[in-house]
Amino acid sequence: MALSTNNVLLASNISVQFGGLLAVNDVTFGIPEKSVVSLIGPNGAGKTTFFNVITGLYKPSSGTVNYDGTDTTDLPPHKIAALGMARTFQNIRLFGLMTAEENLLVAMHSHLKSGILATIVGTPSQRKEEKESLDRAREILDFVGIGKWAGEYARNLSYGDQRRLEVARALALNPKVLLLDEPTAGMNPQESQVFIDFVYKVRAERDVAILLIEHDMKVVMSVSERVTVLDQGEKIAEGTPDEIRSNQRVIEAYLGKAKGGK
Amino acid sequence: MEVSGASLVGLLLIIWLGVNLIKAPTQFAQVSVLGLRNGLLYALIALGYTLVYGIIELINFAHGDLFMLGALFSSYFITIWFHQKESNLAGWITFGFALIGSMLFCGTINVLIERFAYRRLRRAPKLAPLITAVGMSFLLQFIGIKWNGSTPRQWPTVIPHGDFVVAGVIISQVTLILILVAAPLLSVLTYVVNKTKRGKAMRATAQDQDAARLMGINVNKTISFTFAIGGALAGAAGLLYQQSVGTTNYNLGFQLGLIAFTSAVLGGIGNLNGAVLGALLIGVVQGLNDGLPIALGQRWSQTVVFTILILILVIKPAGLLGKVTTEKV
Amino acid sequence: MARSSQRKWVTGYLIAVAAIFIIYQFLFPWEGLPIGIYDFLQLWLPPTAVNESLVYVICALGLNIVVGYAGLLDLGYVAFWAIGGYCAGWFMSEFFYQINLHFFGSVARTAPGIHVNFWGVLLIGGLVCAFFGILIGGPTLRLKSDYLAIVTLGFGEIIPQVFFNGDDIAGFNLSNGTKGITILDPIPVGAKNIGPFDFGYKFIIFVLLAALMVFISLRLRKGKLGRAWLAIREDELAASMMGVPLMQTKLSAYAVGAFAGGLGGVAFATHVDGVYAERFNFSISIFLLAMVVLGGMGNVWGVIIGALLLSWINSTGLPAFGTTFNDKFGTSINFPSFTFLLFGLVLILMMLYKREGLIPESRLRLILHEGDAEEDLTSKESK
Repeated sequence: MALSTNNVLLASNISVQFGGLLAVNDVTFGIPEKSVVSLIGPNGAGKTTFFNVITGLYKPSSGTVNYDGTDTTDLPPHKIAALGMARTFQNIRLFGLMTAEENLLVAMHSHLKSGILATIVGTPSQRKEEKESLDRAREILDFVGIGKWAGEYARNLSYGDQRRLEVARALALNPKVLLLDEPTAGMNPQESQVFIDFVYKVRAERDVAILLIEHDMKVVMSVSERVTVLDQGEKIAEGTPDEIRSNQRVIEAYLGKAKGGK
Repeated sequence: MEVSGASLVGLLLIIWLGVNLIKAPTQFAQVSVLGLRNGLLYALIALGYTLVYGIIELINFAHGDLFMLGALFSSYFITIWFHQKESNLAGWITFGFALIGSMLFCGTINVLIERFAYRRLRRAPKLAPLITAVGMSFLLQFIGIKWNGSTPRQWPTVIPHGDFVVAGVIISQVTLILILVAAPLLSVLTYVVNKTKRGKAMRATAQDQDAARLMGINVNKTISFTFAIGGALAGAAGLLYQQSVGTTNYNLGFQLGLIAFTSAVLGGIGNLNGAVLGALLIGVVQGLNDGLPIALGQRWSQTVVFTILILILVIKPAGLLGKVTTEKV
Repeated sequence: MARSSQRKWVTGYLIAVAAIFIIYQFLFPWEGLPIGIYDFLQLWLPPTAVNESLVYVICALGLNIVVGYAGLLDLGYVAFWAIGGYCAGWFMSEFFYQINLHFFGSVARTAPGIHVNFWGVLLIGGLVCAFFGILIGGPTLRLKSDYLAIVTLGFGEIIPQVFFNGDDIAGFNLSNGTKGITILDPIPVGAKNIGPFDFGYKFIIFVLLAALMVFISLRLRKGKLGRAWLAIREDELAASMMGVPLMQTKLSAYAVGAFAGGLGGVAFATHVDGVYAERFNFSISIFLLAMVVLGGMGNVWGVIIGALLLSWINSTGLPAFGTTFNDKFGTSINFPSFTFLLFGLVLILMMLYKREGLIPESRLRLILHEGDAEEDLTSKESK
């Protein structure tokens, strides 16, 4: 296994149990620095559950998560986020009644130092800090290509721009790992292609490793360096896109699923 | 830490009860009986909270006031419309019809409230239906003021008020009547929810509205039905309260509603047995606090109940019989 | 653009404040005022009602931070009002006659009791309330939003009951029970002492307090904390995933909101020159909620208008209308009892049809962000 390389994130022997149901069973998974890796599997394979363990929303029944040298298994989500683990959501979860730039400023919350009194009084350092973070927010918005919507409410943006805003908001955390949960859901092939290019751009220009949960095989195969397949909570395969494509167990898992239900 | 908090509270409770039991055993039994009687009333109201919360996750703040309207309706029905002022056969028959009338009356109001207010807000952020429910509570209190007047009102009662004495403990006939009316209602409710098709639809809707809809369940109808049952129970409670206490006031529902809600939370909100258990417990604790020699006494009654509420929510939010829920992503 | 629009609001308020001050400080007590005008003012806009409405503004702005900004439903806000009030009662009167403690007080040094300077008591009241806000919020803010509503409601019931029964807590007289604490020290401003009937000067003091709350609200809203509050209101889970500590952020909303409640409580105590336990009832919490809802949750200017309007209707408008109506038509309808109907309807109808409030924050902010064309459009639309 490729675990000996410099993993910025390493989840070891993760199991998650809901009541009697074993949603994730002893999965070990690493993300090398500045890589693009994907997590795939049929519906109900435990991908999102695994995601939620990494980001601290669920505590695993057993196993540990190590992020950039810190054991984050028992940390609350906001602390993990503050360390630089950023995510997007399957069904977009922006702060709808806040402007695009405010959405980014929220993500910078953990980096800002001004206290409540400094904010009320408006001390020079607080003003400077606000100005700097606003500049940074604008810069990131420009980077993802929605700079002109900085002052617009998030909920007024188009679907594609909302996806971009979610990525921008995640980038505002200054992440080392960016977790994208089905980012091309609801996109047509052209839009997906644009998004693939965008992922490349993010990886190239921002020192960040990307973990992708994706249904669209075309996206997964074209963008990932390494693919991990989950089925019924277990890791059944791991390798390069080509290896995965020809893996018998993966084919069975998907076809079997296709036969069973629709 | 949470477990130790709970056991500490439990331990203090047991010590307090023990000391009182040794000091005044008869009095202890006496106030327990009184407490159980009140608890039965609370149970009827608490079920309305728990049914509604179970199905649409809304704290129906107006429910206590619905109970108040039930009490007013019963007063008017028996005393003013049918002129019954004494405990005789005619009075008892009127009492029977008043029970049906009050249940229909409150059930209908509750269904209307759901239909014209809560239903429109089912997909809205949670704050909206909650605030609406608070507004509804004020609206019903307004009806109460106009109907009852702004001061407490005394009514003649038609149920027998004699007493039995069992081993030195006085048990009033009112208590027996309360049991005679409430127990069958509770059994019918349990039967409806657990054994009938409607009940099955209710449970399915409570778990997942969309899935229930896909399974061909008429979700709107099921929710209306739930409000109807909850309202009807409040109506019954209104009649029983009015007949056993004999006084009505427009803000009656506020206090009793909160006590009933506390009961529902104590038992585990959404759980029918829990609501009854919680209500009986709260009734007894309140009775003990009001009547025991070593206790804070009646003027702290409300504080005691609310402290219990806050303690449960902090120590064991799921209640005695409830289940913990987690948020979906 | 943002500044010019805000300046309009501020200018408008300043003019209104100056006009009201002149009327009540000079015109109203003036013997030469035509009797008709005097009666009219006394009936429709008595000075006590004006000052009381400002107390509501202060508290509504505090509640707005909790409900409007952070999206936490608080149904027991009256508790903070009560605590603030008793702080004034304890530290600005002869109630604790056993002690003789003066701290820049406005009464003679020989007077028994604790006599702290009004401005100091404001700070104490605010801080004590903030402390209680954290105390009650700490264990309960973890709960789901609807449970939180119930716990705050319980808190709002317990605190007044404690004061109500507080004349004998294990032998100690904490609150003087139903009799309440009366006769508070006057408010010292420079060399002058402002007593309970100096409506004009007290009006200015209350305006300043309200302005302080406006300033705090607006400054916090624009900064780190305000954004975190809004983010929690919009999507709690996403906020925590973006590094916002939920408990700490909610607690701070509670503390700031409670602080305002304390200011309002102290102000109200000086307004009625005393503290009376039975005045702190559940209705006040709901009145305040209705003010926030009517004005538009999260919108400072809207909440001010909502508070002024509803408070006036409750204290003056409805009774005055009732008197006029009953005189004219010879009826004897009890109009003040219609407050229940009114406040109930405000809450229900606003939630059903205009959840963003009469002056919604979103629209205001759209005005602030886009050009004057948009502003013309909206002003036309709202007419």
